[in-house]
Amino acid sequence: MTSPATAATAAPSPAPPGVPPQGTRGRGAGRRAVPGRRRPGHVSSWLAAPSLAGLALMLVYPTVFVVLLAVTKSSLARPLQRWTGTDNLVDAWESLAFAGSLVRSVVFAVVAALLATALGLALALLLHARGTRFGLVGTVLLLPLVTPPVMVGVAWKLMLAPVGGAFTGVFDALGFPGANPLGDGVGAFSALVVMHVWQWTPLVTLLVFAALLGVEHELREAAALDGAGPVRTFTSVVWPVVLPNVLSVLLLELVIGLKVFDLVTVVTQGGPGVSTIVTSFEIFRTGMRGSYEIGTAAAETLVFGLLVGLLTTAVTLLRARAVRAEG
Amino acid sequence: MPTPLPSRPSTSRALLSRRRLLSTALGAGTLAATGSLAACGGGADASALPSGSAGDLKGATIKLMVNQPHRLAFTDLLGPAFAQEFGGKLEVTAIPYDQLTSKQILDVQGGAGEFDVFDYFYFGLGDLVDAEALVDLTDWIAGDPGIGTGDFLPSIYDHYTLLDGKRYGLPFDGDTHVLYYNAEVFERYGVEPPTTWDEYDAAAAKITQDSGGSVYGAIVEGQQVPVILGCSFVNRLAGYGGSLLDGDGRPTLTSDAAVAALQHLVDVSPAALPTPLQTGFDQANGAFLSGQGAMLDTWTDLGLKAQDPASSKIVDKWGVVPLPVGGSNTEHRTALEAGFGLGVSGGSQQKEVAAAFVKWATAERQNFTLASTAGSGIDPARSSVLSSPEYAAAAGIATDAIREGLEGSPLAWPKTVGAVKLMQDLVDQLALALQGEQDAPTALAKAQETWEEEIG
Repeated sequence: MTSPATAATAAPSPAPPGVPPQGTRGRGAGRRAVPGRRRPGHVSSWLAAPSLAGLALMLVYPTVFVVLLAVTKSSLARPLQRWTGTDNLVDAWESLAFAGSLVRSVVFAVVAALLATALGLALALLLHARGTRFGLVGTVLLLPLVTPPVMVGVAWKLMLAPVGGAFTGVFDALGFPGANPLGDGVGAFSALVVMHVWQWTPLVTLLVFAALLGVEHELREAAALDGAGPVRTFTSVVWPVVLPNVLSVLLLELVIGLKVFDLVTVVTQGGPGVSTIVTSFEIFRTGMRGSYEIGTAAAETLVFGLLVGLLTTAVTLLRARAVRAEG
Repeated sequence: MPTPLPSRPSTSRALLSRRRLLSTALGAGTLAATGSLAACGGGADASALPSGSAGDLKGATIKLMVNQPHRLAFTDLLGPAFAQEFGGKLEVTAIPYDQLTSKQILDVQGGAGEFDVFDYFYFGLGDLVDAEALVDLTDWIAGDPGIGTGDFLPSIYDHYTLLDGKRYGLPFDGDTHVLYYNAEVFERYGVEPPTTWDEYDAAAAKITQDSGGSVYGAIVEGQQVPVILGCSFVNRLAGYGGSLLDGDGRPTLTSDAAVAALQHLVDVSPAALPTPLQTGFDQANGAFLSGQGAMLDTWTDLGLKAQDPASSKIVDKWGVVPLPVGGSNTEHRTALEAGFGLGVSGGSQQKEVAAAFVKWATAERQNFTLASTAGSGIDPARSSVLSSPEYAAAAGIATDAIREGLEGSPLAWPKTVGAVKLMQDLVDQLALALQGEQDAPTALAKAQETWEEEIG
């Protein structure tokens, strides 16, 4: 049975020339058609008020605060002392580690995201080839994901300890006696990437596996009937379907990589030198350890936020293009 | 006939009125937001505690924010004693040493005011006072002869507590460094305890080379934070006869002594436990107590741990000497490395009681108990403790070296507002030199430039 409101919307009465049909003139038109009744699906804007208030509290307030800090002389002890314009930005740019940290953060996030996504995709395909259940193997693969990053850092740091570390013997056996990855800049940075990828690859595996379950079996059968082998089936049937999901996961991994902090804090403290100072750690150093320059830290936060926005927008556009291509 | 135009003046007036209203509201809103946001950082009341204030500790609960290595001193030693004497309770929060000062500032400026007493680094004193995180105790201390200020070691009392003529705490942990060595390893490789940094280098290189890497000749603490790498540098700086500031308070980081001190750190690295930049307080102590390293310049209380079979494999197998000298300097001099006072938090709701606790915790009996107990992390802050036979019995063979340092004229770190930043800037440059990214003169020239920008 059709409700009166639906009928009114679905079959508007003929309108005189020059007058828009009922239901297209404005928001009030439909309501006037059936006084006292709301259209199905219509939700009052006021119901969004609690969410908007929460958003304002959790997002707008801190953002405004950060912007104000960034344009004022602000220390940890005395925030918002006086207007300084772009001084904090200049200080950040001229500091020892900030500009380099932006490069390191991007390199870290991009390399780690690509590696984790590639490895996670491969693992998901292998698991899917075994069947449609994640199974015990899949569950074991998830263990790094549920381990707190601090514990991951502590464990890896102990294993890579140059004296008495678990990998000392391994390095000896491989012909690298005395190897100490955390002792030099490139080694420490690479080690952090490996630890991060080890922890976050399972997330990719889990999400891509779920996406693979969404590929209709009939499509695979049709491809097989047409003579397509496993590789052709993957590239022509499976990949186009899961690509938007893979790009979503890549975006997620990118954001996780840009946010990395715990590992750096626990394993290298940004060292040796400034080799592993990523931006999140540099912001912490500037504001909370050593200088207590909260204004400069806020300026660094804004620049980093802009950079993160640019990166994530690029991946989002790629994903949108993939979705259009599939659809 | 042209169509009459709408009445522009009235529209314009309306628009202007609206704009004015909006801009006024926006401006007022921004000001209000700035004011209210700034006000969020309030909550501190660091006004001076008057003379004669006497808090009652009976049944009191004191909340303390303390340095992580001091945790046992409060939980296992002071806590039970406080409960027994006053029926009170200590609630202790331990913070990693590299975050202690910032956490204390945040507690007060963030408005939480959760703590009554701060165990503070003396070189953070300027930043803490600037943040109103410490209460001015000048009059309170002057008005209570029972505190026994004359007994505090002259070498640390003013450095730890006095800023711009006002006192903000009482000395709690008289931290200096000495050089510990593994006597068994020295004997095995035919090495004598060094008196100069050159002898130290030679001993380190010989032991590391002759042992084939099974024992490292030196352990160099180089973690890139002021309280670790800063100490290692300043130890050598004092040994070479240098200082951080001259008599007028100007930085002297490019002096010959400073360059020699950093060059020494760089040169000894290949013979040190790998690698200095990866070596913090815990790693260094662990390596020395397990016999992996033969020499370690560190805080004086390590001797107590070295004699504790529960934590040491070198019981009765170690020795200690004053920090070596270098260059043309022949006078042994230690430095006030880290060092702690106890102060009353500007956010405390019971400042008189907190001050009474500070007096009790820094009294002779407590200082003796803490300084004589392995694992407390506390060294003498009072002359009566340092000179007592009982403390000498506990400190054993380290006593003479400890006394020589604390009774001398140790090199002090800056402690004005921004001193923590100065030290962080310095260790950042030192770390780049240790990493091989730049040479010692370049590193120190850059640090000098930064310091000059900050303090002239």
